[in-house]
Amino acid sequence: MTLLSVQDLSIRFRTPDGYVHAVNNVSFDIEEGEKLAVVGESGSGKSQIALAILGLLANNAEASGRILYKGQNLLDLPRREMNKIRAKEISIIFQDPMSSLNPYMTVERQLNEILELHEGLRGRAARSRVLEVMEAVQIPDAKNRLKSYPHEFSGGMRQRIVIAMALLCRPKLILADEPTTALDVTVQAQIMHLLEDIQKEYGSSIMLITHDLGVVAGFCNETLVLYGGRVMERAGTAAIFAAPAHPYTRGLMRAVPNIHDPSATLQSIPGQPPNQTRPLVHCPFAGRCGDSLEACFDILPELSPAPHQRACIRAVEELT
Amino acid sequence: MLNYTLRRLMAVIPTILILIVFCFFLMRLAPGGPFTSERPLPPAVMKNVLERYGLDEPLYVQLWTYLKNIILHFDFGPSFSQKDRTVNDLIAQGFPVTLTYGFFSALFVLALGVPLGVIAALRHNSFWDYVMTGLAIFSQIFPNFVLAPIMVLLFTLSWGLLPGGGWNGGQWPYVIMPAVALGTSYMASVARLTRGSLLETLSAGYIRTARAKGLPERTVLIRHALKPALLPVISYMGPVFVYMITGSVFIDIFFSTGGIGQNFIDAAYTRDYAVILGLAILYSVLTFALLLIVDLIYAWIDPKIRSGL
Repeated sequence: MTLLSVQDLSIRFRTPDGYVHAVNNVSFDIEEGEKLAVVGESGSGKSQIALAILGLLANNAEASGRILYKGQNLLDLPRREMNKIRAKEISIIFQDPMSSLNPYMTVERQLNEILELHEGLRGRAARSRVLEVMEAVQIPDAKNRLKSYPHEFSGGMRQRIVIAMALLCRPKLILADEPTTALDVTVQAQIMHLLEDIQKEYGSSIMLITHDLGVVAGFCNETLVLYGGRVMERAGTAAIFAAPAHPYTRGLMRAVPNIHDPSATLQSIPGQPPNQTRPLVHCPFAGRCGDSLEACFDILPELSPAPHQRACIRAVEELT
Repeated sequence: MLNYTLRRLMAVIPTILILIVFCFFLMRLAPGGPFTSERPLPPAVMKNVLERYGLDEPLYVQLWTYLKNIILHFDFGPSFSQKDRTVNDLIAQGFPVTLTYGFFSALFVLALGVPLGVIAALRHNSFWDYVMTGLAIFSQIFPNFVLAPIMVLLFTLSWGLLPGGGWNGGQWPYVIMPAVALGTSYMASVARLTRGSLLETLSAGYIRTARAKGLPERTVLIRHALKPALLPVISYMGPVFVYMITGSVFIDIFFSTGGIGQNFIDAAYTRDYAVILGLAILYSVLTFALLLIVDLIYAWIDPKIRSGL
C-alpha cells in the first residue's frame, strides 16, 4: 500500500539573483515497509525533498505540487496539523549529528520532550521509553548517560541519539538524510546495520538520502536517481545495479572504484552540475551526457512507466 | 562550580591590592595636590594641614597606613576636600542612589531591549524589523547628554509630568528620567545584539531538529533558542551594569540626584586622594563581582563551559 505519494513536486528558492530551481516536477511513491534510496550528487535536490515532506523548507523556498500522506496534502497543512505528524508519523535523521543536537540540553530532555508532546508521557514512563530506545540504538550504559550533554558523546554515539530520537514514536516513515556522511567509515557500517535492524523490528518505511551507492546496494530495495532536481531513473535496487538504464546512472556506477581492479583509472562524469537559475527546458544531464543527441537539448524527457522507470529519449540498447 | 567561584574570589584580593598600589602612586604623580590653590597657604598652615592628613609622611608609610585601615577597620579614610566627612560616609550616601537608578536603568534596558530584538528577529526583514532597527539606530545616536535635556524639555517643562531633577528619597517619579536617559542607547544596543544573535541561533541545526520534533514555534523559541541567543547579551550587560550602578557623572550632575558620579568629578577636581581611591576600589570590586556573575551565568547555560570549570 502506498504510504506517501510525492506528485509533481517542484521547489524553488527566491534569491537576490532570481529563482534557483532545486527540484523540478518530481513524482514518486513510497510503499509501506519500503526502503527507498534517493541517490544524487550534492545540489540534486534530494535533501530539499525530505525537508519539503516535513514542511521544514527554508523561508525563501516555494514548493508546488502535492505530497499526499493519509489523504492530506502535506504542502497545504497548517503548522498546527503538521506538528502532529512531525516525529510522530514521519521523522527525520539529519546528516550532521554535531549540529543537530541542542548543545545546551541533556540528551534525556531532548528525547523526552518528544514523548511529552506526542504521547503525553512524563516522568518514569517517559524515562523507561527513552531508555528502551537508547538501548535499541546500542548506546552503552544508557542509564547513566541520560543526563549527559551532546558534547560528551562521540560523533557515532550522537548519531545514534539522533536515530533514537527519530524512533521514539515508532513513526510510519523515517527520512534519513545522509545519516552516515559525517561519520568514520567503520562507524558508517555500524549505523547502517543499526538502521536495517530497526527497520525490520519497527516495520517503518525508510527514505534514505545518500550519494553513496555502496550504502544503497546493501540496504535499499528501491532506488531513485536524481539529477538536477529531476528523476532520472527509478527501479528495484537489484535491477538498477544489474542494468542501469540511464546514462547518468551508468556514469555513477562507473565512478565507483573497482575492488577487483584497483589499478584501473577512476572514472568521473565530465562537466559541471547544471545551472539551476533557469527553469528546465531540456534534459538537465544532456550537457554532460556521452550519448546525447541534438534532440536532448530540446526535449525534457518524461519518466517511462513502472517497473523500471527512466527519463531518457534514447533506447537502452543504444547507450554506451 | 562552588570551587570555581571560591577560586575566582580568592584571585580578586591580590588584584585589588595591585590596583590600589597602582592608583595610589598614579594619583601622586599627577601635578597638584588636595591643598594646592592659586594663592598658596602660609607654610605654617600648610604644614599643619599636611600633618593632619598624614601627607607629610613618606609615601610608603602613607600607603601602608591606608591599607592597614582598610583591612583592619574597613576605613577608607577622611575626605580631603569635604571637612568632617569620611569616604565611607560619602559612598554610603551616594551609592544607594546610583544603585537604585542604575538598577532600574538596567531593568529598562533588558525589559525593552530583549523583547524588541526578539520581535525583530522573528519578523526578520519585515516592516516591524525595519521599524525596530530604525528605532535602535535612532536611540543609539542619542547619548544620555542629548537625551536628558530633551526629556526634561518634554516631560517637565512642556507637559509637567515628571520632576526635572532631585532625588527625594528615590520616589519613582524621580527615578524614571535618570534611568531612561542613562539606559536608552544601551537598550538599543541590546535590541540589536539580541536580534543578530537570535537570527543566528534560529538558523542552527538543532533548531531545525526542534521543529522536526513537532514542537510549536513558541516552544522552539523559548526552550531551544532563547538561552543560547542571550549569551552575547549577558556578556555585554556585565560591564554595562557596572557602569550604570557606579553612576553616570552626567546623570548625577544634570538631574542633581546626588549619586557617586558627582563625587567622582568633585574628587578629581580637588585631588581628593582618599575619595578617588575609595571610588576606584568600589568600581573594581563591582566589576569583578559582575564579571564573575556573568561567567557563572555562562556556565549555567553552557554545559561545555561548566564541565571545564
